Amino acid sequence: MTTRREFLTVTLAVTAGAALPLRHAAAAPKSMTVVRESSFIKPFDDYFAKTLAAEYEKQTGIKIVYEATSVGGMLTRLTTIAETKSGPEIAMTALNWPHLFDKSLVDVSDVAGEIGKQLGGWHENVLEVVVVNKKWKALPWGNIGQLEVYRTDWFKEVGVNKFPETWEDLLAAGRLLKKKGHPFGFELGHGFGDNHGWLYPLLWSYGGREVDRDGKTVVIDSAETAKAVDFCRKFYQETMFEDVLGWTDVNNNKAFFGEQISCTNNASSILEVGLRQFPDIAKVTDHGMNPAGPKGRFHLINAVSHAVLTHAPDAAAAKAFLRWLYDDKQMSRWLASANAYYAPFLHGYDNHPMWNVEPRYMPYKDSLKTSRPHCWPAPQGHAASESVAKYVIVDMFAKACRGDSTKDVIATAAGQLKQIYKAK
Amino acid sequence: MAVGPASVARPAPLAGRAASRRSLLERESVFSWVMLAPGVLFLLAFVAYPFFYGIFLSMQDRRVASAGTFVGLANFVAQAQDAVFWQVTRNTFVYTIVATALKMVGGLAMALVINQQFRGRSLARAFLLLPFIVPTVLSTVAWMWILDPTFSVINWSLLHSGLITQNFSWLGNATLAMVSIIMVNTWRGLPFYGITLLAGLQTISPDLYEAAAIDGASVTQRFWFITLPVLKPILIIVTMFSVIFTFSDFQLPYILTHGGPANATHLFATYAFDIGMSAGVLGMGAAVALAMLPALGALIVALTLYLRRE
Repeated sequence: MTTRREFLTVTLAVTAGAALPLRHAAAAPKSMTVVRESSFIKPFDDYFAKTLAAEYEKQTGIKIVYEATSVGGMLTRLTTIAETKSGPEIAMTALNWPHLFDKSLVDVSDVAGEIGKQLGGWHENVLEVVVVNKKWKALPWGNIGQLEVYRTDWFKEVGVNKFPETWEDLLAAGRLLKKKGHPFGFELGHGFGDNHGWLYPLLWSYGGREVDRDGKTVVIDSAETAKAVDFCRKFYQETMFEDVLGWTDVNNNKAFFGEQISCTNNASSILEVGLRQFPDIAKVTDHGMNPAGPKGRFHLINAVSHAVLTHAPDAAAAKAFLRWLYDDKQMSRWLASANAYYAPFLHGYDNHPMWNVEPRYMPYKDSLKTSRPHCWPAPQGHAASESVAKYVIVDMFAKACRGDSTKDVIATAAGQLKQIYKAK
Repeated sequence: MAVGPASVARPAPLAGRAASRRSLLERESVFSWVMLAPGVLFLLAFVAYPFFYGIFLSMQDRRVASAGTFVGLANFVAQAQDAVFWQVTRNTFVYTIVATALKMVGGLAMALVINQQFRGRSLARAFLLLPFIVPTVLSTVAWMWILDPTFSVINWSLLHSGLITQNFSWLGNATLAMVSIIMVNTWRGLPFYGITLLAGLQTISPDLYEAAAIDGASVTQRFWFITLPVLKPILIIVTMFSVIFTFSDFQLPYILTHGGPANATHLFATYAFDIGMSAGVLGMGAAVALAMLPALGALIVALTLYLRRE
């Protein structure tokens, strides 16, 4: 026979047990907001906002609100969100932002571990930008690679049937093309991507580095950097024109579609826009990897990722959404909607069918292996961001191209870097 | 019905309070503060608070989304050792002085012309206001196309009229880039001068000009001895505002050049934004922004003292 004490205990336990899910259900958010930078690929944005968000709401009852910021405006938006500790619960991050906003981002190591296990493991090089103090602060979605975009018909006209393998070979092709009235157009101004996209890899491929691994020793003043600067000056003078010194990220796209340039460094957005709006140009457009220098071939990493903000009222619900989003059932479809614009960092997608639709995007996948973050091999953080924001490397090359001496431009860059990295 | 003392007495305090409120409001010192309060509160919230918070930030080693630590004047010392900061300072002064001078001369000329009687004057006045009315971002994007090295309508016109043999690199050449942003700023700011000075011109009595003409004063003399002295206080006020707007200009250089090529068009506002928002170094960004303060403060004090003396 049950004693009164036992009865009370069981009753209380059952009541508490019944109340828990009720409490959880009551606490589950009615909606969550995801903020992302507007993509160049409209179907990709639409697929999230109209298809995936609706599916999640149907399955869980949680409405997913999609907030899009303008291209280049995400960092400012994220700063506002982090500073005011209000707004969207889930945000897109890029570059090394997880390091900048470390304290405002929830540890998602558990979700990253699960996804990695399910989908073949993560590419090692992405860890450098999303793992802060051994904690995953964002889940990498895909890389927006910066590669060479070129006109196959004009290259063939000067006898170049395959994209050059080395910077020197590209220079040789550029000389011929400029003589034919088809100069190159590589951004050397204050844009946000197409300048860094080739200048950091150029520096690295000649063996130059701005700061050592310790993040304190400025090593820009080296013979290797001088060789890269000298090459850049020659490359600019013999293949390009003065305007590129003032270009921002829109100019090279306009010049390419205006048939003013035969080669530039860009994401795959040029071909993507070309296929939709300039089919004749798209037919003769192709991509090449960044050429190799004496010390190898490099690319720049720009890992578009998703992070949960610490101010989210229900971080567990936000993580649950990301877990669902990164499930192959959803992730595979969303990636495919972007026409390979985002190269995923999961080995499970190395041979995804999305790569077969348009083989010209393949170099963006292949470039992942040789991709490094800005300021590599220095540790990621505020100093690296300051160096990028002050255009230290871009201006070092740009000043050399406009005629300043190699010695002077390197000395100026070294001075700035010492101040930024607080080096002696 | 019996009327007790309490029920008679009840409305009295209410009426008394209303009356005392009215009499309080009738006092000029109180009423003026009531009228001023919304404006003062607005200024406190949107001007004073950000300003003092900016000063507070500038003395912190404050990274985005992190707590700051007090560093005194270390940010100002660091920026004094930054070569780019001094280049930015030079750029800002050149940009402000040249653009303001052009706007002043051009605006005065514009005001003198549209003050004359001619057919279509009202339409001309409306059109002249357009650069000021169109949102800066929109008009600057239009200028991006006008100055685009590849598609520039200016280059096309000069090339096809045989005046040049090679396109100008408006935004790629350091000097031309500065000329370009000054040109666009002047275009945008001219109507502000023009319309304000026009208002001043219209307050000048025609009798003065008539009397001067009868005395044999030439057109130039009438301008120097009647128009300019009457316009001087307005000119000073407009210049003060224009200098402040130009000195702290952000949208125009940010959209056109983003401070490039190689920092040739970086101004205080664009440099502060890059450091504060792009790099996340909020303390240093605030310090760069505050670097505008001494120059602007000195200008405002000097012009105010001058006006008071006049």
